[in-house]
Parts: sequence; structure tokens; C-alpha cells
Amino acid sequence: MEEKIISIVELGKSFGDHEVLRKIDIEVEKGEVICIVGSSGSGKSTLLRCINRLERQSTGKIYYHGKEIGNAQREINEYRSRVGMVFQSFNLFNNMTVLENCMAGTRKVLHISKEEAFDRAISHLKAVGMAPYINAMPSQLSGGQKQRVAIARALCMNPEVLLFDEPTSALDPEMVGEVLNVMKELARTGLTMIIVTHEMGFARDVSTRTIFMDKGYVVEDDAPERLFTNPKNQRTREFLSRFIAG
Amino acid sequence: MTVLTAATPTTPTNSLGWMAFLAEKYSASFWQGTWLTLYVAVLGTILGFVMGYIIGIIEDIRTDPEEKGIGRLLVLAAKAVCGVYVELFRGTPMIVQAMIIFYGLRQAGVEIGILAAGVLVTVLNTGAYMSETVRAGINSIDNGQREGALALGMSPMKAMFHVVLPQAFKNIIPEMANMFLTNLKMTSVLNVIGLSELFMTAKTVGANYYKYFESYLIIAVIYFVLCFVFNRLFLLLEKRLEPKKDYVLAVEYMDNQ
Repeated sequence: MEEKIISIVELGKSFGDHEVLRKIDIEVEKGEVICIVGSSGSGKSTLLRCINRLERQSTGKIYYHGKEIGNAQREINEYRSRVGMVFQSFNLFNNMTVLENCMAGTRKVLHISKEEAFDRAISHLKAVGMAPYINAMPSQLSGGQKQRVAIARALCMNPEVLLFDEPTSALDPEMVGEVLNVMKELARTGLTMIIVTHEMGFARDVSTRTIFMDKGYVVEDDAPERLFTNPKNQRTREFLSRFIAG
Repeated sequence: MTVLTAATPTTPTNSLGWMAFLAEKYSASFWQGTWLTLYVAVLGTILGFVMGYIIGIIEDIRTDPEEKGIGRLLVLAAKAVCGVYVELFRGTPMIVQAMIIFYGLRQAGVEIGILAAGVLVTVLNTGAYMSETVRAGINSIDNGQREGALALGMSPMKAMFHVVLPQAFKNIIPEMANMFLTNLKMTSVLNVIGLSELFMTAKTVGANYYKYFESYLIIAVIYFVLCFVFNRLFLLLEKRLEPKKDYVLAVEYMDNQ
């Protein structure tokens, strides 16, 4: 049996009277690349934010290696340092250079030495092709460059799982490719990833498992080759037909 | 009478002459007044800023309404105390606060010195205004900055000190300069508790020859020069903190295969 890294059990989230997530059950195993697709407002991003505990779930539980993630701040910090996140709007620290962004987590959270933090930062920045820009400020970079730095920053923490919240949605069309290529490369290294995306081609080609969400429910959770070619559910079919037609 | 003996050798004939005469004759008093004004303004502003930052940060602490622990209650209590303090000190004139605090403390048996009371009033006043500025400064930073820090595993306080506050600080500098210049001038109200800062000095000096206009004109010049100089210093600081327009490409990491 494969080891479960994250188990989500009967997760629900409401904002006031509005139920955004309903009874979500997902298990994440090592090495999986899970793409979550669905129309806007289906709850995909909220689910991802709940997994990272940027939102607190209303009901249900999240387990990390079988241990429930409680509400103690220390526990949550520790968990977040193992489960990285890449945001739609990059969220690079505007008061730091590219290099400082990539060393902030390792220095302030993991407390590793300056030399090691530097080496890690450079090696991950090299991998995403951003090493020459270590002295630049985020405001001096293009969207695609920012997102590649954000990915490097997350990787510097040596995360066990990396969450992506629509990483290419804020990018110009010609910059989407450079970010998706970096993510493909990561998938090949065996990193466990959960990706909320609107890039259907990417989901089909790269994911090991695709989840379709609608109105806060997980409607379908299957291998991409089955979900994309032979969806079981009517809603999934409708959703996918729009992409194929478009 | 001192008036007659001092005036006989060369009695100034116009206002400018009187200003020069008074400034020279009472230079020690004016220096002393300038020193006290600066002392109270600088110390009061710095401590007030510290207080404003602490309160602004407290007011930004987010509590989860679903959490029922004692921690949340403490935070809410601290916020309530800060709220009342800010409201009270922003809602009353500093000149009244000075009287109430100075005489109130004395009546309560606390032998507070005039200078200490002056600094205290300035600190409390500045803290109240600054806390609002800091809060607004923190709010002006996109929440994504905070979330980016939290997602790396930083605690909310680390996120505040390493990421949010440095950016908020830069936005707040003009307002901090404003606050300091205001304080430099507001110290004048502290003459009501007997602090011999510039205003008090001018009043005393002017009374000696009944030359109030000239005497106050002297301190107007002093106030102006102080404000002018400090304003330039703040602009310099702001400029220094501006991000560099360009950066050096780290060519050693360029791909040259």
C-alpha cells in the first residue's frame, strides 16, 4: 500500500450561509500529481486554501501522515513548512530581492545556515532559469518570471507536497508555457503536487489523477485518460465539452 | 530698573533691531528653549512611534471567531483597551491632556517633573495618532504578501515583521515626518504646565521689554528652521529607501552552453 501523505475527510467549508465545500474526501499519495479542474466558483481554490490552512474548514478533518492538523498555530506553521504553496498572484515579497525571497523561508523558518540557504536558493533558481536575476526586485520581473521565482521559493523549503492555486491564470498567454514547463519538469522528478488549474491540456498530459469539482462537491476523481475521454458524470461531460468545443 | 539700564547704550529703533538685540541678550534662554523643544519633540515622537506601532500591530491581530480559547479573549481585551485609549486621546486637545495629566498625577501623589510630564503627554498623543497611521499602513499592504509568508511556515508575527511591516513602514514615512513636524510645533502648548520650551521662552523674554512681536518672531524663525531642516532629512530618508531602478544581472549564473 502506498503511503498517504494527506487525507482529507468529510471536509466542509461555509462562508456564512454559503456552502462552498461539501463533504470532500481526498487521499493524496506520494508522487501523485493531482489536477483539480472545474468552473469558477466550484470551490477548487477554497479547497486548496483549506488544505494549506489559509482557510479553516468548517467541518471535517485534514490528516498529514495520519496525524490530524489541529488549530495550534505552531502545528500549522510546521505543517505549512512541509506543504508549500504557489499562488495565482505570485505573492513574492516586494521588500526583498529574488535571492532574499528564496532565502526567507529557509533562514527564518528552517533556520539553516546562510551558506546552505544560498546554495539551495541558487540551485532551485537555476532549475527554473532565474538564477541570473537574484539581485532583481519582484517589481522588475515579468509575470512568468515572478511565478518561476515563486516556485523556486517554495522548493527551497524541500516541501513534501506542493500546492498550486491557478499558477498561470494571471499570466499573459505567451508566459503560460514557461511556467507549465517548469511544473512538468517538477512532475517528472516525482514531487507530489496538487494543482488547481484551467489548463485542460496540461491536466490531461501531466496529472496522474484529475478531480472535477462542481458546486462544492467532488464530482469525479479519476485517472485523466478516463476522466477526459470517458467521463461518467453528466456535469463533467458538459464542462469538458466547452473546452473541446472552444 | 533693568529695562532702563539695559536700554540706554543703544536702544534699537526698529523691529529688526529689537529682534537682534533680544536674540543676543537672551541667546542662552533661546538655546535652552530650542533644546527643550527638540528634546520633548524627538523623545516624545520616537516613544510615541513605538507605542503607535505596538497598538497598530495589536489591532491587526486576526482572531478566529470559531476559536474559544483564552488567547482570543486576551487579544480582544487588548484591542478594546487600545481602542478606548486611541479614542480618548484623539478626541481631546493636547493642551487639555497636558493639564489633566500633570495636575492629575500630582494630585494622585505622583511627583512627576515638568519635563517628564511634557514627554509623557507628547508620547500618549503621538501614540494615539500613530496607531491609526500604522493600522492604515498595514492595511495598505496586499494580503497576498502575508499569505505568501504564512505559506512558507512563518508565524503571523514573523510574517508581520519580515514581510508586512517593512513594506508598511515605507508607506508610513511621509506621515511619520508629518507627525514629527506637528509635534515640534505642538510642544508649544506645554508652556501651560510650565515647561520652558520655545513658546514659554518667547513669552518671558518679550515681557522684559514689552516687545512681544519681536520676541515671538524670533521663535517663529527658529521653529521654521527646525521644521525645514527636519523635513529635508525625512525626504532624504525617503529617497534612500526607494527601490533601485535597475539591478545587476548575475552573469556567473547565465546559461552559456
